[in-house]
Amino acid sequence: MHDSEPDTFPLKSTREQFCELFEKIGINAEPEQIDTDEVEKGDYYSKYFSHSPAMVTNHGCLKIKGTNIDIVQIIQKG
Amino acid sequence: MSQDLEPVPWGAQDRFQAHYIVKPVGQMVLDELLARTNLTTSGHFATKKVASVEWVGGDLARVLNADDELRNMIVKLSYKDAHIWVEPTKNGVRIHGKWKSSYELQISKELFQVYDRIASHIKRNLGSPPV
Repeated sequence: MHDSEPDTFPLKSTREQFCELFEKIGINAEPEQIDTDEVEKGDYYSKYFSHSPAMVTNHGCLKIKGTNIDIVQIIQKG
Repeated sequence: MSQDLEPVPWGAQDRFQAHYIVKPVGQMVLDELLARTNLTTSGHFATKKVASVEWVGGDLARVLNADDELRNMIVKLSYKDAHIWVEPTKNGVRIHGKWKSSYELQISKELFQVYDRIASHIKRNLGSPPV
């Protein structure tokens, strides 16, 4: 009853959390709908390096404006 | 019933990566855009620091090695963040670091500037003007 944690809290996706990190360092980023970008459809690794994982989970992309990087994709191992 | 002493890991692990992607405008030669850092370090354990950086890989590695400002920026990063890979795939050239836990998955201004500078070299290599 006197718990300091609120009863409800907003659920945020990993890419939304990462977007907030970008805002903190002054970069304008915006989360995209999952599985809508071209980069999510092909291979995530070149397979030239030995560390490439066999299975990954896609957490979606963020679009970044005003930098040389076009898009950021969040990936989880397994 | 006895407990399995070597349980098989199953499902997604608490290991994340953020891939910073530069999209190609036209055709690209994949082998030329491969690169990774090869670090020389000083100290041990918690005091381990990056002393110097060398890029190894394709033609892009030669361009990145010629950028002294980039080398100075990477030396100032933490040992874990200084491990950087550039991997070309069909849909874009990906710049990424080591796997991190959900708690460690952060981005600092210094690290982003390093990735952005690498991306500018990739754009030049692909024939499009950097921002």
